[in-house]
Amino acid sequence: MKGQIFLHPIWYTLLTEEHKTMALFAKGIPFSKKVMTPKLDPIDTPLPKRVILPLKQYIGEPSQPVVTKGDKVTTGQLIAAAPTDTSLPLYATIAGTVKDITDYNDYKGTPTPSIIIEGDGTDTWIEPPTKKEEKEISSYAPTEIVKRIHAAGLITTQLVPVPLATDLVPIDQPKTHLIGGQRITKKIDTLVITALDREPFLGVNRYLAGIHNKELADGIAALKMITGALYIRFVVDAHYPPATQLKDLVAADEEETTTLISLNGRRFPIGLAIPVIKAALGREVPLPYGHPRDVGVALYDMTTAIAVGKAVSTQLPQVDSLITVGGGAMPKGGIVTVRIGTPIGDVIESLGGFSTPPAKIIIGGPMTGMAHYDLTTPITKETDGLFALTHDEIQLSGDYRQCINCGLCVKVCPVNLLPGVLSLYCAKDRFDMAEADGLFQCIECGCCDYVCPSRRPMVHLFRHAKHQLMAP
Amino acid sequence: METHYIVSMSPHLRGAHSIERMMRTFIIGLIPPAVMALYLFGIRSLIIMVLAMATAVIVETVIEHLTNQKLTYKDCHAILTGFVLALILPSSAPWWMPVVGASVAIILGKLVFGGLGNYPFNPPLVAWVVLKLSWPERMSLFVEPHTHSQALTPLMALKEDPSLFYSYAMRDLFLGNTPGPLGTVCALAVLIGALFILYRGVIRWHIPVAFCCGVGLFAAILHGINPDVYPPVIFHLLSGGLLLGAFFLAPEPVTSPVTPKGMLLFGFLAGILTMIIRMWGAYPDGTFYAILIMNAATPLFNYLKPKEYGRVKRA
Repeated sequence: MKGQIFLHPIWYTLLTEEHKTMALFAKGIPFSKKVMTPKLDPIDTPLPKRVILPLKQYIGEPSQPVVTKGDKVTTGQLIAAAPTDTSLPLYATIAGTVKDITDYNDYKGTPTPSIIIEGDGTDTWIEPPTKKEEKEISSYAPTEIVKRIHAAGLITTQLVPVPLATDLVPIDQPKTHLIGGQRITKKIDTLVITALDREPFLGVNRYLAGIHNKELADGIAALKMITGALYIRFVVDAHYPPATQLKDLVAADEEETTTLISLNGRRFPIGLAIPVIKAALGREVPLPYGHPRDVGVALYDMTTAIAVGKAVSTQLPQVDSLITVGGGAMPKGGIVTVRIGTPIGDVIESLGGFSTPPAKIIIGGPMTGMAHYDLTTPITKETDGLFALTHDEIQLSGDYRQCINCGLCVKVCPVNLLPGVLSLYCAKDRFDMAEADGLFQCIECGCCDYVCPSRRPMVHLFRHAKHQLMAP
Repeated sequence: METHYIVSMSPHLRGAHSIERMMRTFIIGLIPPAVMALYLFGIRSLIIMVLAMATAVIVETVIEHLTNQKLTYKDCHAILTGFVLALILPSSAPWWMPVVGASVAIILGKLVFGGLGNYPFNPPLVAWVVLKLSWPERMSLFVEPHTHSQALTPLMALKEDPSLFYSYAMRDLFLGNTPGPLGTVCALAVLIGALFILYRGVIRWHIPVAFCCGVGLFAAILHGINPDVYPPVIFHLLSGGLLLGAFFLAPEPVTSPVTPKGMLLFGFLAGILTMIIRMWGAYPDGTFYAILIMNAATPLFNYLKPKEYGRVKRA
């Protein structure tokens, strides 16, 4: 296949997993086992007493509430309708009463109008729209599947959180991208289902790859049908052996269009969308503003594939999501199933409260996540981790020093920039020069920040420059 | 709100890298050559090293205090500067030489440009050049190890009579039984220290390897043309300050390029320049001059960038 790096099978048997990854993707930081490996034990939590559901669910149009204060709702009931294709319907995730519709901080820390539901302790579900049907995925029309995916309110978080239905490229309507003045239209030929997490510290996808999921096969079949992909590639972490289910899916495929690629998941940022395509397929997504579909790839993670399978077969909305909890101040680490909209404070409360006073509360992973000060911030669909770090674990930039030109950042940068030089431009307000040197190629993985001996806040400077350049 | 949480940009974790750790690694890497110098040239070499290091720290602290800057003695860079300077001085240097040299390195080499991270030339080499131009006789007064009798270094002897290189055993060059600057005579000790800093990742392999390749290639061609007049590759690699320069001075973070291609070209050209000065220049050992000249061109080498990932040509 074009663009794929082939190694002779004899070489492949001689290489260790680390070297296989190195051969394809030599940048980034190889985290050792000592640095905060996620625990992959499932933890049960009780139903939350209240949920906060922001109307604006991602970068896009907010949905319109169809309930008012005081209404009784059941789990899975529509509470806000989607006026346009770019917004998503919103569903109640617990049964109870609508307490208020007011402003709350969302996952980005900005106050947004949200619906607050006070739970009544029960988990009464709505009746599914139709009787559960035992049909093969191939008997559905692709438009029907896309409709059900949109109705279930699924999102994908591979690049930025967007509704899955708008991210999917139906086979008959390829999307055109304008990149650098060129029009790029590509047909999807490969569907990549990644079991790598965005960071080595998160573990939801690896956990899902290690257990059996009855919806996985359905979800993959549905995604394959919509995108029209000819090949399927499962990307798994070599350190976390996948369940026999994935191997069965590969073995069951007679035409040999499905293969398993195992990569070293401890090398950050191999789990991010752009490096994983490079490492698994050897293709380079055009940057900036590129999308995997520009190189003919549809990239989804295990979570999305399973959610698609669930949404198509049951037609029930997504009400809970899996998150990784961890960090020194968290009472226990593991994989927690939480209802969407649960305030992070309540999640920590239900796990047993902080074990030590935390310094930072992070939604997302410790490398790319966002620090929060407000414990009422709700878990949303894009949340994949919740970390409480102690003072010993974090290190603040404080008064950073002059760049000493050591070149460590150049060594680790996954998109081959010169982060040290860029940070100097950004700190001296030479944003035009930073842009010319590839500022917008930066995927903000934070590797340069991690290794910098002068402790320069690289990502902070880059984001500052990007905001200055993008300001109207 | 009763509890406050820290809010800052990602990443929230940071590695153990720091300037202090980096400089300490360099210092530890320089200990093997220093121990060899102590063994070969006696207590005199220790006095030179201590004087250079102490002067560097004191001068830096005093000037930073007088100019109301933040004191930076804690990052160990001043100690490193003094240490490197001491190792490239002859063992016969009088007591005031390391003192003057270290002061020049810190003031002219480092602080006038704005301290660590800003200077264009390697500070110990700036001091070395000032000393060399000011007191040329004293700077080329070398002694035989253990005996304190005056002698010529192998490269100086070569300038007098090119065919003399047969009189030097490679074993002596490798173990350090020849006259020369304190830290450069024992190639083995320098290589042990170099392996340590390479292992700790404070320097990358590109510059040293390209440096040695440049010297080796040039020397091999000359040796191939006339083996009677031009010494073999191994002689050039082991003699003079070449190994110390290739592993400790040329890859010095501030004054060397950062891109892989830039580092390879930087090292290679420095190696070629070293050989040109050695063969046809006025000075016996061109390593330090070659590095200084290449330092001036470092910003240019940074234009040799790696291909940016996914860069699309603008139409």
